[in-house]
Amino acid sequence: MVPIKYNIRSLRNRWVSSLMTILGTGLVVWASVLAFGLADGLDHTLAISGDPLDLIVMRKGATSETNSIISESTAREIDTLAGVATDAAGNKLYSSELVVVVNTPRRGEQAGSANLIVRGVPPVGKQVRTGFRIVEGRENKPGLREAITSRTMARRFVGAGLGEKLDIFDAPFEIVGIFEAGGSASESEVWTDLEVLAQATKREGVRSALQIRVNSPDDAATLMNRIENDEQFGLKAVTEPQYFLDQAQAGMAIKIVGRTIAIVLTIGAMFAVANTMYAAVASRAREIGTLRAVGFSRRTVLASFLLESLLLCLAGGAVGCLGALPLNGLSTGTANWATFSELTFSFRFGPAVLAQAVLLAVLMGVIGGLFPAIRATRMKIVDALREI
Amino acid sequence: MKFLPYILKNVLRNKLRSVFTGLSIAVSLFLVTVLYAYINMQDEVGKESEKYARIVVTAKQGLMFPVPIAHLDKVRAMQGVKAASPLAWFGGKYKDDKIPFAQFATDTSAIFTVLDEFTVPPEQLSAWQKDRSGCVVGEKIARKRGWTFGDKVVLKGDIYPVNLELTVDGIYDGPESSDREMLFYHYEYLDELLKQARSQLAGNAGTIFVKAQSADMLPSLMTQIQARFASSDSPVRAVTEQAFRQMFTEMLGNVRAYIRNVALAVVVSLVCVAGNAMAMSLRERTREVAVLKAIGFSRTTVMSLVLFEAMVIAVGGGLVGTLGARALFTFGDISFMAIPGFAAFYVPWSTVIFALAIAAAVGLASGMIPAWRAARMSVVDGLRKVV
Repeated sequence: MVPIKYNIRSLRNRWVSSLMTILGTGLVVWASVLAFGLADGLDHTLAISGDPLDLIVMRKGATSETNSIISESTAREIDTLAGVATDAAGNKLYSSELVVVVNTPRRGEQAGSANLIVRGVPPVGKQVRTGFRIVEGRENKPGLREAITSRTMARRFVGAGLGEKLDIFDAPFEIVGIFEAGGSASESEVWTDLEVLAQATKREGVRSALQIRVNSPDDAATLMNRIENDEQFGLKAVTEPQYFLDQAQAGMAIKIVGRTIAIVLTIGAMFAVANTMYAAVASRAREIGTLRAVGFSRRTVLASFLLESLLLCLAGGAVGCLGALPLNGLSTGTANWATFSELTFSFRFGPAVLAQAVLLAVLMGVIGGLFPAIRATRMKIVDALREI
Repeated sequence: MKFLPYILKNVLRNKLRSVFTGLSIAVSLFLVTVLYAYINMQDEVGKESEKYARIVVTAKQGLMFPVPIAHLDKVRAMQGVKAASPLAWFGGKYKDDKIPFAQFATDTSAIFTVLDEFTVPPEQLSAWQKDRSGCVVGEKIARKRGWTFGDKVVLKGDIYPVNLELTVDGIYDGPESSDREMLFYHYEYLDELLKQARSQLAGNAGTIFVKAQSADMLPSLMTQIQARFASSDSPVRAVTEQAFRQMFTEMLGNVRAYIRNVALAVVVSLVCVAGNAMAMSLRERTREVAVLKAIGFSRTTVMSLVLFEAMVIAVGGGLVGTLGARALFTFGDISFMAIPGFAAFYVPWSTVIFALAIAAAVGLASGMIPAWRAARMSVVDGLRKVV
């Protein structure tokens, strides 16, 4: 083994060239980390949104609540089916809800507008969702034009801040509280009272979907079968994780685009690394000759140069990752085409994302450094020593 | 100009390095071209739609709410309206597609007057008009999915509780910036199925696309349409087609900011990479530069020689990358990008030129420091230097 100190000193000796290469690869890693972090944040939001003991009932054929319509009378029949869990007071944990999509301007100039989901929820609806809690202000009162939303939404949309008035179909709803729901997709919504929303949107007697809590996976399976097989209902029930898994397709585009960006840029960076390493090999011909002459094998020299290339790229990778970290948790949003509304989420640079970034750096180092390293081993000792 | 052979010789001296630098730039600018094409394409399509003088009528509460089909005749009767057609998004699932392609219920006799950038052979159009369950599809999607006349297309309803069984009767074509990945079928066919299913969604036009007689009539026509239905049960919003398209772009969020950031990172990265390569080349040629100066070449000449060399490499790489991107999206299949807004993806020439300008700028910036160093170098030191 050639001591690693040799490689580090060599890199330091040509520090301008090394620094340029580190910067070049670092920026590529940075851009890739951003893309991965975006996709990971979106995935995370959808992944934690589902509780397997929560069922969503929709019209057969609909893939999202916003596309589903259920009449109030059908909704009431589902209520009576066996398997619905009850709370301590004996209330059924069953929430029939109305979901509408409202085009709302984003805050900030030129930020445009997006569709946000307004959900009419009966009082029990908040109990059905585990992890729901008010963190600021208070809950909305039934029968009043009051609404609650998440911190992210309050920051992103005009009129969604605490104490502000949000226009829902020309009717002003006062935001009286800020809720948290464990970072789930619910945090991309505005909640208000079911009856009040039905009135404001002239949709009395119409429901979009039902949210049902069950006690066990077995109950869930039984209830799902019962609903699915009853032709009269024309409904289907899915568990929440399944529902969000279907929607995760919305993130596919981001994921594909992000990966493509990362791969293309990495290939570009490989050429750059190869250039640097070829120059390193060429200008150190005598050194290589000496190394060989004092007994280091071809394989050791190959490993040494590969290691040097790897060090260079890992330094770049570190720069890229560190540069991206300040953006961790930065909230953003994009269209969820399944619900035709905005899904908000945060950049997430978790271990998986950073591991992917390091992998890219390793690829750049190994593939970019391989051919120059092979050239180093091919030199004839005599010729190499004679080079100036 | 007389120095061109000398510059080219220098570029080719270390072939491997120049090729690698060029490829690095080519690959990266390929990406920048594609990303910027997304922005430019939308701007271009937006501008195009301005000249088509069209208005889109939606429910005031948004696209998820119905526009009664009865509104259609009232709109048609208005002054300044050349043609109007319902355009109802079906959003059905085709085979294993996860994300639906564009399928619209429409008025067969009006749609190609409204969307007059598209052309359909007359015999195909009349065949379609006679076939209740017929459809007309875009040239691009037909090519992509291998559809020809008489093929069955079955669409499973998602928003609508009915399934469509359609027959391909015609294929429409249109200019480069137009969306040739849509499917049109009879509005009456959908409505009949909905009535049979006793769905509340029957009688919904979805949206109404209105073609005005001229572009200057748009503002007054929009006010007129909105006023006409303001006090009805279903008030509407009338916007220009451009504004309608913009709504979808805005829904995606700050994609533009993200694209600009990535592009900026790429450009800075390329300047580092190409500058590094240039510096390496010149370090190996220190003596030569000294000789050039010793035999009387001025500093400016030496500097420009280096700058030009850097630019030749960068622009060469840029040409490969950007033209490659344009070729890929003109001739290649990019069906994986089947999400709304991407349907008519192409690389406009404006993007190609923009990306080439970036390449030139990268070349210039990367050559700057090596060129300056070469120009400043003392002749004596240079001649003495052993590399």
